[in-house]
Order: sequence, then structure tokens, then C-alpha cells
Amino acid sequence: MKTIRCYLANDTSSRAAGAERLADAWSERQELQLIRTSSRGAFFLEPMVERETPTGREAWFNVAPNDLPRIVAGVGGTPVAGIPFLQQQTRFTFANFGITEPLALDEYQTRGGLKGLAAARSLSPEAIVEELGISRLRGRGGAAFPVWKKWQVAQQASSEQKYVVANADEGDAGTYCDGMIMEGDPFRLIEGMMICARAIGATRGYIYCRYEYPAAAQAMRFAIQKAREADLLDSDDYPFDLEVVSGAGSYVCGEETALLESLEGRRGVVLAKPPYPAEFGLYGKPTIVSNVLTFATIPNILANGGAWHAFLGTEGSRGTMAVQLGGRVKQAGLIEIPFGLTLQGVLDRFGGGMAPGSRFKAVQVGGPLGSLFPESQLDIPICYDAFAEAGAILGHGGIVVYDHETDMVELARHFMAFTADESCGKCTPCRIGSVRGREILERIQRGQGTAEDLFLLSDLGETMKATSLCALGGRAPYPVLTAIEHFPNEFARRQG
Amino acid sequence: MRREANGSTMLNLTINGRSVAAEPGDTIYMAARKAGISIPSLCVSHQLAPFGSCRLCICEIEGQSGIPASCTTPVRPDMVVRTESDRLRRHRHNIVELYVSEQPEGSEMSSPLRELALACGVDRVRYPDGARSKRASVRDDSNPFFTFDNAACISCARCVRACDEIQGTHALTMIGRGFPARPAAGAGSFMGEAAAFATSNCVSCGACVKECPTGALTEKTVLEKGIPTGTVRTTCAYCGVGCAFDAGVRDGRVVQMMPADDGPSNRGHACMKGRFGWTYNDAPDRLRVPLLRRGNDWEEISWESALDRVAQEFTRIKETQGSDALATISSSRGTNEENYLFAKFMRCVIGTNHIDNCARVCHSATVTGMMDTLGASAATNSIQDLDLTQLIMVVGANPTESHPVVGAKIKQAHRRGVPLIVIDPRRTELARLADLHLQLRPGTNVALLNAMGHVLVKEGLLDQAFIAARAEGIEDWIKTVSDCTPEAAEVITGVPAHLIAQAARRYGSSGASFCVHGLGVTEHRWGSHGVIALCNLALATGNIGKPGTGINPLRGQNNVQGASDMGCLPTYFAGYQNLDDPKLAALHQAITGRPLPTKRGMKTPDMWDAAIAGRLKGLWIIGYDVAQTDPNLKKVHEALKHMEFLVVQDLFLCETTKFAHLVLPGASFLEKDGTFTNLERRIQRIRKVVEPPHGILPDWRVVCEVSNRMGYPMPYRHPSEIMDEIATLTPMFAGVSYARLDQHAGLQWPVPTAVHEGTSLMHQETFPKGKAHFVGVEYLPPGEAASKEYPFVLTTGRILQHYNCGAQTRRTDILELVDTDVLEMHPADMVGLHLRDAEIVRVVSARGDARLPVVGSERVMPGHLFTSFHFPASTVNALLSSSADESSKCPEYKVSAVRVEPIERDELDPEDEAELQHMRRQLIT
Repeated sequence: MKTIRCYLANDTSSRAAGAERLADAWSERQELQLIRTSSRGAFFLEPMVERETPTGREAWFNVAPNDLPRIVAGVGGTPVAGIPFLQQQTRFTFANFGITEPLALDEYQTRGGLKGLAAARSLSPEAIVEELGISRLRGRGGAAFPVWKKWQVAQQASSEQKYVVANADEGDAGTYCDGMIMEGDPFRLIEGMMICARAIGATRGYIYCRYEYPAAAQAMRFAIQKAREADLLDSDDYPFDLEVVSGAGSYVCGEETALLESLEGRRGVVLAKPPYPAEFGLYGKPTIVSNVLTFATIPNILANGGAWHAFLGTEGSRGTMAVQLGGRVKQAGLIEIPFGLTLQGVLDRFGGGMAPGSRFKAVQVGGPLGSLFPESQLDIPICYDAFAEAGAILGHGGIVVYDHETDMVELARHFMAFTADESCGKCTPCRIGSVRGREILERIQRGQGTAEDLFLLSDLGETMKATSLCALGGRAPYPVLTAIEHFPNEFARRQG
Repeated sequence: MRREANGSTMLNLTINGRSVAAEPGDTIYMAARKAGISIPSLCVSHQLAPFGSCRLCICEIEGQSGIPASCTTPVRPDMVVRTESDRLRRHRHNIVELYVSEQPEGSEMSSPLRELALACGVDRVRYPDGARSKRASVRDDSNPFFTFDNAACISCARCVRACDEIQGTHALTMIGRGFPARPAAGAGSFMGEAAAFATSNCVSCGACVKECPTGALTEKTVLEKGIPTGTVRTTCAYCGVGCAFDAGVRDGRVVQMMPADDGPSNRGHACMKGRFGWTYNDAPDRLRVPLLRRGNDWEEISWESALDRVAQEFTRIKETQGSDALATISSSRGTNEENYLFAKFMRCVIGTNHIDNCARVCHSATVTGMMDTLGASAATNSIQDLDLTQLIMVVGANPTESHPVVGAKIKQAHRRGVPLIVIDPRRTELARLADLHLQLRPGTNVALLNAMGHVLVKEGLLDQAFIAARAEGIEDWIKTVSDCTPEAAEVITGVPAHLIAQAARRYGSSGASFCVHGLGVTEHRWGSHGVIALCNLALATGNIGKPGTGINPLRGQNNVQGASDMGCLPTYFAGYQNLDDPKLAALHQAITGRPLPTKRGMKTPDMWDAAIAGRLKGLWIIGYDVAQTDPNLKKVHEALKHMEFLVVQDLFLCETTKFAHLVLPGASFLEKDGTFTNLERRIQRIRKVVEPPHGILPDWRVVCEVSNRMGYPMPYRHPSEIMDEIATLTPMFAGVSYARLDQHAGLQWPVPTAVHEGTSLMHQETFPKGKAHFVGVEYLPPGEAASKEYPFVLTTGRILQHYNCGAQTRRTDILELVDTDVLEMHPADMVGLHLRDAEIVRVVSARGDARLPVVGSERVMPGHLFTSFHFPASTVNALLSSSADESSKCPEYKVSAVRVEPIERDELDPEDEAELQHMRRQLIT
């Protein structure tokens, strides 16, 4: 006798928030049919239980096991459509989140999935790339390179073997949207990769998943199996096979050439470019390496047309951005919005202000290599051009808010130490420079720093920025130098 | 853009205000280097792919905000580059400062880094002295030839890349990441083992040492004796590749042998033997004075009396028993000039053609086989053709051990994607890498090659246009191969028919198939047939006379090509000219003043028969240890005992000197001038690097002195004069002179005129006799087959570490790596015979027996055994029969029927016992 149908997210973040505790506690309740969905990404509300009502779903927030009677009684629920955090978003790539069961291929299809692939199959490979050109989609992994250009290079490269590789080595602290896609809507990634395969003529794909995402890797493997069983991978005249490969825990393997080295079973070391992977990638064959989010954005573009995508966002940044807001704000979670809203706008509209007892100090955008912004600079719009102009990066869309208790010297040291730990060791500025940078900051922390040390940090930082082989060494000085720039007193105070 | 004469499109860019021409695909660094503009760098090497580690070679490019590394940035037309500016200088200063900052306290900075620090103005390190992070103290002295010291390393991975990209051994890796990342050898490093080089698969080619920019990897000879104060360009005296080396000298001694980047055949690469195996030159047991036999003792005599003695004995024998009672065996390790003089001595002074050289026992079948089909007996193409080929077929050769620089080049091509077919009974390193390995039974080459021909005919893969224009006798061949189906060949060879067919298709349709063959083709009962069968395939598919194709025998010794070229053959005069050619006879008479004997002489095996029969009384052997390396040693020893006068010229006492009446010390290749001819017909200079031990005469002087004493003056003052005479007598060397050899870094024969550039590719338009000849050869079984009594087939050959009789390599630190021959046996056979690794066994053939330690190895098939013959104590060649190729007398080293018996413990003496324990230890580690 199952009468009540409820929804509970099953992804890693929701589990961390206690979803599993609810599922366990309620497992004996015969009257309850608990459907495990993807998460809506409003993590401050998790565990969130939803219930179908004639007027749409209602949700209960931060649910504890003994809240079940209220839910069964239908007391105290909030219409999902009325949750401001979600209501104010523009969800396309994340449209299924919180609604579907991740591994239900039929649900994926019912909600418009595979339309993009169908559209791609009706197009020539050149026309697919043209559609992407119209969409003006830029890669979402951090480098923001026009996707169509990359695809065109791979398409025009003559080779019997080409590859599509999803970069799922989502290593920036405070980012999780790739993990959410893999756990929550895996067929979208598969569909995006298959469209790419068709466009460039690839017959094999790999999803390089970070070691720390076992659940995502598992979900992808199940989804690939389901897709294979449904003859989705090998349909039409395009044979395609897809495999999930787990990384070995190295941050720098998120850099595409290091990723490909690792995928080949070699040390995860960055290679000089050119040649670019699109011409000479995995095993020396033309290879498209794109971020998970990029691939996941593509089905909608093919289904709705490139112009639909180009209509969203700002001049240089079309479409939506998956902002992942975290740190000392009230409301942390995933926010899909068109490009253009300012940082301040994001914090106000979605962050809901600072966590209780916290005062704003700085925000870092773009992961551990991202610049720090003080309060005075929060009017910067979230788009590639404005950030580039400010010498900053959007990166993979992670935004972390620091409060008044944050020690900026320690924060700077932490990030330089992070680079020293994660450096592949190939290029000198990063290999030795990051260690020397960390040591100077440690000296300042010990109260032994001098004014010359600050100059040295900046001098070393400029050399690392200008001469490092990849963005790890090249971006490492940014959090440090912006910390010194915006919070000089904290550094001056420590001088011996 | 403009088009250069060689067809590549050049482009122009501006570097530091100068217009510079570059090829597309060049990096800025390469373009600058070609234009003579130097950019600071530590990690770049023109031998290696762009890498971009040190970041010192940064540059500014107009219109670009960043400062990319010039070593990884490709040139674009009209780009404007600056390699010097305040900004670049500042960053370079900072990078060098970082390098200096990781130098351990108290360790001396390597001189390249010190110079760079000086040049970049790094006079102090701004990072505090107490910084805890310095380079870890790691030292690996375990390689016999070089050491690694992490203190001097800069983690640029040039050594690792050299091992990967040049040598293809992949013995090195960077371990750790980030700051402590450093190179290390083998898997041992991961277990914290310091002696990692010794336990890795390192082949000691020395490429890593050469590439190391800071001396973190350094030769032990340099550490012990100091860095060279001068260098002399010369040519290696080991295998036939002919690697050019710069011999580094200090205080009159060699301290280093560095492969030359502009060496035409090695392009900067080398192998263990050439790079490190030269220290025999200073071995304490080098012969220094002539030795005369007094019963069982040697008497040291003066050079004067030694030379007199040779002249007297040869004169006596000639006068009493006739010219035919004298013979010489020349050395394929000696120079062309020495070989020519030796042959001249026999022909002009003794008046006989009884002269041979050790090509008899290696590639004489190649000479016969290629002469019969192509009309010229030498590699048709060049080593550099490996860069142009579309497919490589290796037949009966193990180049990664016997010709390691060619082996490395084949591996490079294979890594680039060039398909590789290996036809070999053994699973050699190349066989393991190969796209197709046709693992045939020993002695069945002809059956397999004919079956490939069958497939080519049947599937219409013949190059009809080429055949019609360039060859004759195709019908004969087609008739021969018509019933040689792959299925029939499968029965004989054991190779699955479909693999044979696949190999034929790939060989015939690649567009350019390059064939190399070795002694696995020639050293058989029907060796010349094997060579002919190969040539037939090349002719049938048009794989000859074109770049990236050809029949390319891998000549085994440094000058085995030259010794034959110079006429140290009983059947040909220099340049393979017929002895009965009247024009040659006239010219010979005019130049030498003596008639050219026309009667064919004896081949080496005939000499043994003649000696035993009492017809041959006097023999002169130069630099060739027949008593260790010839087959059927019992018979050879017997023949040598029959000599009335045996004179042996060598660097060391050896097995053959045990039979000699007179021993003359020789000068090594480092101690004389001359030329060697490598396996691609390239005549290259060797130059005197150091003085020979006091009083020692180079071989050519010895011949002159003896000749003078026998009434035929040889007044040469320098080997160059001998070469001039060779040029006048030999059309294919007509354009060779020392001046030209110096100017051209060698010349590939034929060099018909003094303005001819040499011939890198033979037979482009015609063959020497006009057309080439197909010769149908049917498969015939080897001289011996496994039987109930002798159930195994034994093949002998070389290993990487040692060279032939081992006279040189056994007197170097190579002995630390390999100090015994071993018998390789398939593990299944080991189980069948209840043998354990390193157990000493007796190998017995119908001729004799030998004791060897046995090791389980999947390089051989069940029923097949392999061993090397580098150590005299093994007496491996006692097992071998006198069976030889009919036409060339090339011995059947590759097939002997043997049985293997365990040796009872009490048969072993204490020395054997110690040896056995030592072997076990080596096998375990």
C-alpha cells in the first residue's frame, strides 16, 4: 500500500547533508514511496524532501527523520516553484535536477533528452560545428575557448582514429557542478559527447573522472551501460564507445595535456602547446577534451538551435553560467543564470547575505588559482571579458566567500602551498617558485618577513605568471598578490 | 614564402631585428640557432622533441602579450621576435636564481649553471639561507660507466627524454612530482633503492649522460681522469654502423668517447660498447713487444728481428713449397688501407690469391647472394632511409643488440608508426615490438620468403612496371614460388600461413619497404639462397633503388664491408673486380709492377682443409681470433697445429696466439690513421687520437716492412697514399681521397669521380650489370636437424654487451654487467629437463661439448637454444659443424643439433662452484 510519493536527492552533497539518514529511517514505512532523484543544488536546504501535489511539488527543508508525519500530513511544505533561490535561476543545463531519477533513460527522454542528438544526426558534421559557431558557446572548464573552433580543428584533422574526452577532473575547491551532472543527469553528458563524436568523427570517448568522485564514476558507468543496452551508443552509422577512467588524485591532471598523459597511463605532466589536443591528442590522435559542463550544455544547443543559446548572456559570454556559491554565505549551492549578473548581485540575490555572525571580507572566484575581490570590487559582472580585463578568471565558476575571521596571510600561504603540492614539477617557475613563495609567506607568518619579502613575492609572482608552462604556475600568484594588494595591512602587521 | 631547391617551403621571420629563414615546423629556438642567434636554455636539445621545462628561452613576439618559450613555439611567417629585453632578462635572472636556490649547501655548482648565473647577474640568492628545501641527496653509482648526482641535477628530464626518444629503452623516469621531482632509473627507485641504474633495464648507451646539461650524469672516466682538453674526430671500431665519435683526450690519454651529432650514421647516438667499451686500449695486458715462441714460452724480441723473421719464413716457404703454401687472413677490424696492403702483399709479393677475411663467416653469403641478383654486394640504401621508409622488415637480425644505433633508429621509426615485421626464430626486443613476428624454425628462411613471394604473385602485388624495366628472370622465380603456398610453408617453418600472407601483403603494398638482414639469414647451410630469396622479394615489389627501400645487410664488424671491398677475398680484386679481367691485369701491372694472379685462392675453411692435408704451411692472421670464433674448433685447432709458421698480429694474446710461432702487437683504432667502411658503404676516417704503446707499428707499417724485406718496396709514408693507389686501381673508389673524406664526413661508394658526391642510394636507374636477376631458389633443409640423440637446435649469436670473441669488451667495465656466456632455454624445456636457472649444464653435439650456465628465457621457442660466444672458456664453437653455405662457405652458426645434460655437482671444481653462486646472485637481482 504505497500511497505517498516523495522525492529525495541521492547525490553526494545531499547524502553529506543527511539524505541517507532519512532514507534509512524511513525504509520500513510501507505508505511511503521514496524516489531518489538528482539534487536541485540548493544545498542550504538539504536534506530536502519533496512531495507531489496537484499544484506541483512541495518541499520540506532540512528534514530530520521525525519530520515524516508533517510531510505525510502535508503540513508546512513550500511550493518548489516558490523557492526564491531556484525561482530566480534560468535552468537549462540543470533543468532536470531534483526532478528526474538520474539513471532513468526514459525520463531523460520524456523531458527532452536526446533531442539534441537526434538533431545532430540530421545534420552534417560541418553543420553541427556551424550551429555551435552560431551559439557562441565557450568552453566552461576555465579557458573559455570557443568550442566550435576547437571542434572544427579536430573535424578537419585527417585521422582514422579520433577521440572525445570529457574532463571530469573537477579539482577546484568549491566547485561541484560537473560532479552533479555526472551523478544527477549522466545521459546529458553522454549525449553531448556523442554529438561531439559525430561532429569530429570520433569513435571512442573517455570520461576522465577525478579519483575523489567515486559516486560520479559509478553513476556514469551505469548510465553508459544503460545507453549501450538501449543501443544508444552504436545506433545510426556511428559506432561509438565510451569508458570512464578514474584519475589518481592529481589536481594538475585537470589541465588537458596532463589529463591525456594520465589517460595514456603516463605521469600526469603538462605538455607544451602547440600541438593542441584537437590535432595531436590522446595517443597522438585528434582529440576533443572539454569540460563536463561544456558537453552537458550542447544537447540543448542542438535541440533548440545555436541562436537560442546566443540570445542568452552578454556580448562575449553567451548562454548560462553554472555558478557554484560557497563559503560563509547563508545560501550555498548551484546557481544557473545567464552571464551578466554582478558578483554583488549573486551574493545578494542568491547568497542571502553572510552566514550568521559573519562579516564579509573577500570573495574568491575561479578556484584556488582565482583572484580575491574585496567589497569595493563586487560590481564586476560575471562574464569572461570583464574578468579578463580585471586580470581575473571565472574559471569553472566557483565562488567562495571569506568572512572577517579569515587570516589573509594564511590564506595566501595556503594557496601557494596548494600549488607547491600540486605542481607537476616540469617547469622551473612552478616547481621551485611555488616552494619559495610558500616559504616567504611562512616567514611572514612567523613574523620574520620584511618589506623586501613582499617585493620578492611580487617579483617572483610576476615571473611565475609570465613564464610558467601552464595555468597552475601561471595563476598561482593571483590569490597571493591580490591578497597583498587588497589587505596590505595584514601583511605589514606581520613584518619583523 | 619561397620554395627552396630541396622542395621544402621556407618562411622568413625576424629575430632580434635580423631576417631569418626557417622551415615550417621549426620552433623559434631552432630558427634562431640555425641563424647563429643563441638563446639561453638548459632543457632544450635538438635531438629531442620540444619540452619547455627550464623556461629560460622565453621570447617576446610582436602582437602577443605573453612571453612564450621559444623552444616550444613554432615559427610563423613574418613574425617578429625578440629574445633579449629588460623584461626577459629579469625573468631569466629570477629563474636562474631559483635553480641556484635549490643547490645543496656546500655542493659545488655545475659549471653550466655557474656560467648562466654569471651571465644572468645572479650574484646572490634572495631566498633566505635557511630555506629547508634543497635538492635531495641522491647518488647512484651503480652503473659501471657513469654516475648520477641529484645535487647537480635541474630536473629537466633531458635524460629521461633521451632514453625514451633516442634510445627507446624507457629505463628512466622522473619520480615524485613538484619540487622533489627527479630522474631515476628503473622500478628500483620506487622502492628507495639507490643502486637503481644497475637493476634497471638501462642499456648504458650513454644518451642520458650526453644530454645532461649540468653534469649530474657524468662518465666515471671523466670523474677519474678529468674533462677532455681536446678532441679528435674518429669512427668507432665495433660494429658496422660506423658511429662518428669525438674522442676526448687529456694528458695523452683518452678520457671520453662522445658520439658526434653530425655523425652521418649515428647522428649523436651510440651504444654501450662504442661509448664506454674503449678502455681496453689501456688494458695492462696489451701486447707491447713481439713475442717469439720458444717451446711453451714466449721470448720477447725486437721489432727488427720479428720483421726479419716473418720475411725469412715467408720467403723460405715460398721458395721451398711454392706460393700456394702461404695464405693470409686479414682483419675486418683493420683499416681499408691495411686490408688493401695485405691483399697487395699476397698478390704482388707472394703471388697468390690465398687471402680471405672474417666476412667469410658472417656475410659472405650476402656477397654471393646479392652479387647473383643485384650485381653489387652492399647495402643498397642508407641508415637515414629509416626516416623515409613506410615499413621495416627485419630478417634474421637483432639490431638492438648487435647494431644498437640502427636498432634504436628502427625503434624510433616504429614509435612514429612505421609498421615493423620481424622474421626471426627468437623473440628479440624488436620482435616483441613488431606488428608481425614470424617466429620460424631455424634454417627455414627460404621456405618462408618463397611463400611470401607466392602470395605476392597470387594476389597481384608485383610491381610489373619495375620488373619489366629493371629485372630479368622473373619466370624462373615465379615458377619456383608457384607451389610454395603459405600453407606448405607453415608445415616447414611453423609460422601460421595467414601471418606469412599478411607479411607479404604489407611488405608488397607499403609504398616503401626497407629490409634489413643479418647473420640469421647468412649463417646457414643455404645462406646465400636466403639472401637471394630476399632480393627476389625486393625486386618483385620494386623495393629497390628508391628511398626508404632496399636490401640492407647489417655488417657485423667495423670494417667487414671494407675488408671485402679492398679485395681481401680469394675470388675478387678490390672493388669486386674479376681476377681474370684483362684490363685490370694491365692496370695492375702498370701501377704495382707485378702481375695480378688470376687463379682463385682459398676461402678460410679451404685453408683448414689444406693445412690438415699438408698443402698450406705458412699463415699470417691479423686481428682475428679464429681459434675461438670459427666453427668446428677442433678442426681449426688441428689445422693451426699443422702450420710450419703462423704469425698472428693482435692487441692481446688470444686463443689463436696459442698456436702462433710469432706474435706481433697491433696498434688500436685510437692509435692510427686510416679509413673504415660502414654497413651503408660509407668510407669514414679514423684518426690517431693517442700514441700507441712504445714502438708498436700500425698494421700497414708492418706489411710495408715485411714487403720491403722480401724485395718489394712499399714506400708509403701515410695511409692517404695507400688510398690514392686504391682509387687509381678501383673504379668504385676512383673519387675517394683523404682530402675529400675530411671535407664530406665520409663518402658512400661508388664514388666514380673526384667530383662525385658519393652514392647514398644505389641502383636508382640501373644495376651494375644493367638489369637485376631473379634467381629461383628452392627451400632445402639445414645441414642438421634435431634428432632423438640431439633433440635441440642451438643458435649462436651476439649479445649487446660484448663483441665477437670479446677480446676488447672483456677488458672493460662491461664485465661488471656480463661476465659469462649463458645458454638460453625455453622455460618449458627447463621444466622438462628439471633444470634450474643458473645451473651449469653440458651442451653436447656430434663434434664436441661445452659447459654453460642455463637460464630460462622466452626469447627462444621450445626445442630451440641460444648462446653467445664471447668468452673463450665457453668453447661454444666446439659444438659447431663445418657445415657451410655451398657457394660462399659461410658457416652454419645458426643451426646445430645438440643435447643438454645436467652436470653432477662433484664434477664441478671450486671455481665453477663460485661462478655458479655468482650467477645465481646476478639472476636474483
